[in-house]
Amino acid sequence: MLINQRTRSRAAAGAAIALSLACVLTSCAAPGSAPGGTEQTEAAPGFLAVADEALTGTGALTVQLDYDTSEADGLDPQTAQTDTSWMIMGLVYETLVTTDENFEIQPKLATSWEQPDDTTYVFTIDTTATFSNGRALTVDDVVGSLERQVASMSVWSGQMGPVESIEATGDDQVTVKLGSPYAPFLAALANTPAAILPMEEVNDGSVDLTTTMLGTGPYLVADHRQDESWTFTANPDWHGGDNLAVQTLELQIVDQESTRQAALREGSTGMAKFVNIDSLSQLGGNEGLQIVKQTQSDLYYVLVNSQKPDSPLNDQDVRFAINTAIDRQAIADIVFAGETTPTGITPSNLPGACRVDELPSEQAAIEDARATIEETGAGDVELDLIVDTSNPVMAQIAQLVQQQLAEIGVTVRIEQVDTAIYIERVFSAQPGDFDLSISWFAGYSDPSMVTKWWNPEQAFFNVGFTGVHEDLNALIAEGASETDPDARAEVLTELCASADEYAEMVPLVHRPSIIGFDTTAVSPTIQSNEGYGNILRNIADYRIAG
Amino acid sequence: MMQILRWSAGRVMSALITLLGVSVLIFVAIRLMPGSYEDIILGPLASAEERQLLAEAYGLDQPIFVQYFAWIGQVLTGELGTSYVTQSSVSGEMLERIPVTATLTIMAMAVTLLAGVPLGIWTGVRSGAKQGGAVGRVVSSIGISVPEFVLGSIVIFVFSQFSLGLKVGGFASIGTGFWPTFQALLLPALVLSVFCVAATARTTRDAVMGVLVEPHITAAVARGETAGHIVRHHVLRNAGIPILTLLGTITAYLLGGAVIIETLFNLPGLGSFMVTGLGRRDFAVVQATVLFAAAVFVVLSLVLDLITSALDPRVAVTGKAGS
Repeated sequence: MLINQRTRSRAAAGAAIALSLACVLTSCAAPGSAPGGTEQTEAAPGFLAVADEALTGTGALTVQLDYDTSEADGLDPQTAQTDTSWMIMGLVYETLVTTDENFEIQPKLATSWEQPDDTTYVFTIDTTATFSNGRALTVDDVVGSLERQVASMSVWSGQMGPVESIEATGDDQVTVKLGSPYAPFLAALANTPAAILPMEEVNDGSVDLTTTMLGTGPYLVADHRQDESWTFTANPDWHGGDNLAVQTLELQIVDQESTRQAALREGSTGMAKFVNIDSLSQLGGNEGLQIVKQTQSDLYYVLVNSQKPDSPLNDQDVRFAINTAIDRQAIADIVFAGETTPTGITPSNLPGACRVDELPSEQAAIEDARATIEETGAGDVELDLIVDTSNPVMAQIAQLVQQQLAEIGVTVRIEQVDTAIYIERVFSAQPGDFDLSISWFAGYSDPSMVTKWWNPEQAFFNVGFTGVHEDLNALIAEGASETDPDARAEVLTELCASADEYAEMVPLVHRPSIIGFDTTAVSPTIQSNEGYGNILRNIADYRIAG
Repeated sequence: MMQILRWSAGRVMSALITLLGVSVLIFVAIRLMPGSYEDIILGPLASAEERQLLAEAYGLDQPIFVQYFAWIGQVLTGELGTSYVTQSSVSGEMLERIPVTATLTIMAMAVTLLAGVPLGIWTGVRSGAKQGGAVGRVVSSIGISVPEFVLGSIVIFVFSQFSLGLKVGGFASIGTGFWPTFQALLLPALVLSVFCVAATARTTRDAVMGVLVEPHITAAVARGETAGHIVRHHVLRNAGIPILTLLGTITAYLLGGAVIIETLFNLPGLGSFMVTGLGRRDFAVVQATVLFAAAVFVVLSLVLDLITSALDPRVAVTGKAGS
């Protein structure tokens, strides 16, 4: 019990860091951008780009990213908390399974698996895989890695579900038993924190995972300069084949969006990630460049502090009125130029997610919201809306929310602070030292995974600004344990409605990623949808152009 | 002579006191800032024990004056502490970054002197003419009023569309050769120097105009000396002291401006190091970079003062340059 509580606490801490630090990343779209979005043609169903197999050359690729890994536990993949860390560490480490363009689970280090009953998973392990030190992968590595993750205090341990036992049941077979059915289990195994580690070396102390990356993946770390660059070289012994076209991969950390744009234009990088929707149009006309918008399951949300003493936000009716006044579609259209879509607490692009238009706040009338504010006198109090300055897009959302709440008589004062102050006031202070705020969650690849963060007893990072609601918590648990798709969809619909009515964390819209690449340098394979922020998910399929 | 030596000793003492003051100020200020390093490093929900362990690891559990003297003791031995975030030596990190900022600053200073001084002389000499006055005003207005981040953003956009062989992001060390370094740093140096060119041109112009009305210039004209000779031998020599004095201020400005320019152009220099450290409340990084920048400024100012007093001994005697 102590371990579980501790685990949850650390998991929540990680989540909060993930929220805060990962939020250091974005830039913004101009508020005046035209709504509607751009039509995007897929290169193949589920793919924005597909590598040209006719290209047979090998070489180097430079990719510019907006921020680096910055983890309290260094390079340990199991405690990694941000999507960039997951992506970078995922170049070296591999998981048992992975997700495809439809968020369906596919084999990786597990070549296959069976599910004899709702709570048992039997994985067949690819024992031809080797770690980059030449040692073959064993079932003991798999068992040890999963046990380490489950027992860890990491953010991901909370996503692994009710794991009861992990055993080697053959030379190439590992069996995991759960205490109860848990629908997102395979999706939880598909992300880098569930990576399979070289447990023999970890246990004998010859490898320190916080400073060294040693995995079975396609790349080896050649160099890392914090906040500047990573250099990876191809792992010659990678079990995935000797067809890696990108033999040297350099990741450059460039926090300025305009500088990444410029580097892509002038050809000093072959690929770059952008968070500013305007990058689509700003780079779109450049010859030789292809700019695509990848739909992420990540979502922006408004934090509504119900725990601050003597706040009008203690009143659920006031919070729901605020939720009603927030126009998600307007945020998508104006801040994101129509290039994203509204969502409930289950990311709307994931199979089985609830419908946004069925949310109670979407169906409520704004006149009722205005009347609630008048009746309660909440309009007499000025609410502060705190945003992190390192994320300009959140300031843009804040401005629109400020205007929308003015419609119902709520006065909002926007306060911009740096990341350290933001974390202190929003996540560390008990109760939270703010009224409203804006942040974002990673959306993952199963609709119930992110809903865990609506339970403060599981999330823990939000105990300073949300209450404990047993009915909501029960729905969250049921959403994760229900394995029948139809029944689960019903539960998730009910869950979305309940969270919407409590209105302490109000989902807004999806957070898209813009990816640009120089077609004269690289021919990549890029999925249309992504759950773990991994724009390099298909790096092994990339081809070098020119 | 004794008076000059006494004055010089006073200036050295003043420089040391200034550095001591800066060290105290930055040491206290960074600790008074809201937002904690524990939240950044450990996450907001780290336990009291974890926070305590972290504080002990870096000596942050000690009284502040104990921490200060421990730090100053380290500084005097050339060790600037350990980054809380990267856990690496701050001195080592700075040694890797100083060449970037130094090269950028030197290039910007070169542009400032090569463009600002001649422009100031030209506009000063032609101050009576329409052409000189207009050019001076336009250059000064643009240079002084356009913020670096605006100009930098425009330059980045324009030169990424039409590169003209110049880079708009990233640094090539001097070890890679002159041309790659020049390609990478010319645009940032130009943007960084715009304000300084304008300020130098204005100061030089004013100094030249001040000298031109002196009786010895009238005498030189009466002697039939050529304009070029008068500028080289009379005007520049006398206008040099205010320009020299300005160099110290410009250096401080360039070091400060490097913070913005390095971030904008993605240059791994001291400025971007300091900004990252500040955002993460990495005390050791912020203290070291600020103290280093202050030391550079103080030492340079001291050297310039000594040079000025050598050129014009009245500075040491009266505390101000003669006209």
